[in-house]
Amino acid sequence: MQLTVGISEMRVSKSAEDTLITYSLGSCIGVALYDPDAGVGGLVHCMLPLSRLDPDKAKQNPHMFTDTGVPALIQAVLDKGGTRKRLVAKVAGAASPLNDNGMFKIGERNYTVLRKVLWKNEILIAAEDVGGTIARTLLLNIASGKTSIRTGGKEREL
Amino acid sequence: MSKREEILGRVPAIPPLPTSATQMLGLVGNPDTQINDVQRVVEYDPGLVSNLLRLANSAYFGTGGAINSVREAVVRLGIKRVFQIAMTSAVAPLAQQEIRGYDLPRNGLLRHSAATALAVEYLPKRLGMRVPDATYTAGLLHDLGKIVLGTYLEVDSAPITLMAYRENLSFELAEQRVLGTDHAEVGAALLEFWKLPEAVVLAVRWHHAPNSYPNEDRTVVDLVHIGEHIARICGTSSSTDGMNYSVCVESLERMKVSPDVIEQVAGDVLGSLEEICAIFN
Repeated sequence: MQLTVGISEMRVSKSAEDTLITYSLGSCIGVALYDPDAGVGGLVHCMLPLSRLDPDKAKQNPHMFTDTGVPALIQAVLDKGGTRKRLVAKVAGAASPLNDNGMFKIGERNYTVLRKVLWKNEILIAAEDVGGTIARTLLLNIASGKTSIRTGGKEREL
Repeated sequence: MSKREEILGRVPAIPPLPTSATQMLGLVGNPDTQINDVQRVVEYDPGLVSNLLRLANSAYFGTGGAINSVREAVVRLGIKRVFQIAMTSAVAPLAQQEIRGYDLPRNGLLRHSAATALAVEYLPKRLGMRVPDATYTAGLLHDLGKIVLGTYLEVDSAPITLMAYRENLSFELAEQRVLGTDHAEVGAALLEFWKLPEAVVLAVRWHHAPNSYPNEDRTVVDLVHIGEHIARICGTSSSTDGMNYSVCVESLERMKVSPDVIEQVAGDVLGSLEEICAIFN
């Protein structure tokens, strides 16, 4: 089944029939996390870098922020049977508008915060498609762990 | 005839606004309008009645406490708010359609339009400013030109997108090079044809170039420009143009916007967006 992960949402699955998909990653960051041995994976779509912007919103929905959403994804994959040292992380998004004078550097900041969170959790980024000005769709197939990116009608493996 | 003239000449062939929206336009601009007048226009359109009651009871438009009748909605929300809701109800079916030429999926433009309308109201609130009257409507309607180009004129945006990314051009500049016009100019022509107020038409016309706005007070156009960028942060950019637009730094300076405010408004918008979009699905 194709399961859509909305903006500021997360989904984790262990069902071989599932593909997780998230659309319209602009400056947001999408993280696909997968344990190939356990066959469990998850996808999160975080909009803003740091939860200190609005701690109440972060409490209500930790997936809105990269610094709370990504740890929540890691924990959820571990809870479903994943093992930390086997986790494969693939990343997409973090775009920015043209000549934004630093005001809209949300994409870059999302990416920086993400790297810190993954580093703390000793998880390496296996592949990424980040930056630029394009919008991306990110898919994770639970049976194979195959992660792909869709942009402008074309799909390719990440 | 130039390509631009040909495109703009086709605008009058676009279907008109629903009668209720046209009548509401007349009422909102007339200082003598009575509650009864608005009630009569709304009640004549069953689709609008249903959308008005649902939006009037939403967390965003609501005033606390249930609103059960059209009259109550007009009294509690005010004529201007009811007009904005009537416009939302009128353009939702258009903005919901898939726009093939611009590779916008079903509901894609509706989400982007609603997110922008929300952003242009949350932004001045976060800045401690009064929300100007034209702001919501201009935010809601700013990208209707894409429907004209992508659906009615069957423009294929692929060469435009290719040029924009290859030459690092803001998307509307690539539209101008390929078509001789852009979705902002075409959208403004449609709104002028529909007889929307000048403040709305001009803000839509210049939403990608606020510095070219012809009047001194640029508040509405600056809000729409920044609000649209915030709507893209909220995941409403399309696969065609993505985030490939320039930010007008002067707009940010005029509005004294900080990165924190931008992020806060993005959070506000996301909190209301699903509820508003769900009403039309």
